[in-house]
Amino acid sequence: MTSPNETAVEVVDLAKDYGPITALDSVSFSIPRGSYHVLLGPSGGGKTTLLRLIGGFVRPTRGRVLLHGQDVSDAPPNKRPTSMVFQSYALFPHMSVERNVGYGLKLQKMAKEQIREAVDQMLGLVGLEGYNRRMPHELSGGQQQRVQLARSLVLESDILLLDEPLASLDAKLRKDMCIELKRIQEKIGITFIHVTHNQEEAMTIADRIAIIADGRLVEEGSPREVYERPVRRFTADFIGENNIIDGRVTGRNGDRFSIDTGFAEVDVVAVGHDIPTGTEVAISVRSELLQLLRESRAADGRVQTLPATYVEEVYLGLTTLHLVRLPNEIEITVRQISGDMAGSVFQPGQAVQVGWKTAEARLHTE
Amino acid sequence: MASHPLLRHLAGEDGIRRWAFYVPVAFMVLFFAVPVALTLVWSVFERTIFWMEPGFTLDAYVNFFTSARAENYLFSMIHSAVAVVVAFTIGFPVAVFVRRRVPTAAQHRVILLFIIPFMISELVRVFALRPVLGRNGLLNSLLMKIGITSEPITVILFSNLAVVIGDVVSFLPFMVFAGFLAMEAIERYVFEVCDDLGSNTLRTFKDVIVPLAAPGIFAGSVFIFVNSIGVALVPTILGGPGAVNAGLMVNQAIVALDFPLAMAISAIMMLTLLVLLFIGHRLFDLTKILQPIN
Repeated sequence: MTSPNETAVEVVDLAKDYGPITALDSVSFSIPRGSYHVLLGPSGGGKTTLLRLIGGFVRPTRGRVLLHGQDVSDAPPNKRPTSMVFQSYALFPHMSVERNVGYGLKLQKMAKEQIREAVDQMLGLVGLEGYNRRMPHELSGGQQQRVQLARSLVLESDILLLDEPLASLDAKLRKDMCIELKRIQEKIGITFIHVTHNQEEAMTIADRIAIIADGRLVEEGSPREVYERPVRRFTADFIGENNIIDGRVTGRNGDRFSIDTGFAEVDVVAVGHDIPTGTEVAISVRSELLQLLRESRAADGRVQTLPATYVEEVYLGLTTLHLVRLPNEIEITVRQISGDMAGSVFQPGQAVQVGWKTAEARLHTE
Repeated sequence: MASHPLLRHLAGEDGIRRWAFYVPVAFMVLFFAVPVALTLVWSVFERTIFWMEPGFTLDAYVNFFTSARAENYLFSMIHSAVAVVVAFTIGFPVAVFVRRRVPTAAQHRVILLFIIPFMISELVRVFALRPVLGRNGLLNSLLMKIGITSEPITVILFSNLAVVIGDVVSFLPFMVFAGFLAMEAIERYVFEVCDDLGSNTLRTFKDVIVPLAAPGIFAGSVFIFVNSIGVALVPTILGGPGAVNAGLMVNQAIVALDFPLAMAISAIMMLTLLVLLFIGHRLFDLTKILQPIN
């Protein structure tokens, strides 16, 4: 664990029940100061509840929230070093951009002249200089979210909480705003905690991603780690386009485990794992790492293959999907850059082999 | 039938939609527009002993403005305004409280409780205030018991105070309903932003809730004002000498068989309300406030 002055947020055994429903179930983790941290997960998984617990909008059933080492579990939102950007366009509809952004400072009894200066500076930062007199209904969705961002940033809180801030924007705008959020965060250097269910958004923006599902912290890591080396089966299933094949451990040779899939045997490398023979496991391989072969290669240990039946091809422009069916009726997706495999070399129903480099598959025990 | 494009647009093309348009229109013309027009026309008719005859004279208006009626009318407006302010002070916080603190599932049920008084005849409701406000009434007994006064206060009943109390009691639910509907239209996020920015209850009320609920508050206020100034029942039962409202003045004019005067007072009431609506509209800029956020 990092020392308190390097940790922005630490939650300890945090839980929230809504009557009989458990929204968050004993989550413990910490967020380093100055990082862009994304809470990623499916809807209803508890990530927004976690954010709202950090912000003080919800009181925990159990556990503690520490911000910069201070226990704030019972403090109201405005007594915490946090500021929130809400999902929908939560501007005061009856106030101009200027008054919206300056309202928090006005409550702090800052002098009018200073407020105006701070507001102008913040509007500049979010790219809305000159919009002072506009009303919220005169702004686009993206602009409204920028105003919200400015309203939060102008308070100079140490931690900015963003609850699905881009959810209501269209795909193109979301991408632009993602890059800009990251730029702003790097410029001012405070901690951003950003909740989203959008994987691409998370990958674009995050220093670290925490995957939250079913009220639990599933896994945490850099975007590259969770994408390339997911530990849990859930993460593999949720992030990227992974093919998951269930099996059972039948033997072990160092870090190399033999897995019986029920119709073939493959080897998977799992460093530092101690998995007894007979354990139910899952193998995951990303679709872009799979190859389609006409016939089985001589097994040299570096490549694994499974027999399959070709189903169909789906052309998507940049990439082409090849769907194949394993003998256990599970469908597997193979994704290739279009043109890499001269179109339609396989016919539906044709027997093929799906292959991957041994090192590229991961083993999941949970 | 509908040859004009606008009429066709309003009424639609097919049978049932056309009837759904024309039946209410016919009803409104017959029972609303015609009587309103007749009020204006009759107000300038010549008065006869038992009725009136066609003509053009402003006698009724002159009579109104040169008698104590004009003054009484003005007082009636002031008392109605006081009733509106009192109803806002009492009723609107109830609406805010129900919206903000009562569990969502129970909110509508709580608001519906305010309908219950409407099930009792207004006559009975207002009359029931007499034993409360009277010389030996509940209020005086209470005041004497706790020693605020040693003798019963006689000016409570049959006074303007009693009329204002009666108006508030009778029409308070309008403020609660309209206020609640306005509060319902305010997004929950708005209050969370207030919490996040550190706005206290009073600031939130003043800076955010009242401006955003202004259309509802205005609507509730208009309802209460209109009723306070126009419903003759309350001053009839609770008012005394001088404690009259415009509705009661109309009543008295009709009893005195001075129909043009009754019509003239009604016309003045209509004009007053139109002016107030216009001022309110300009003041609150209702269209702008009501504009959707997105």
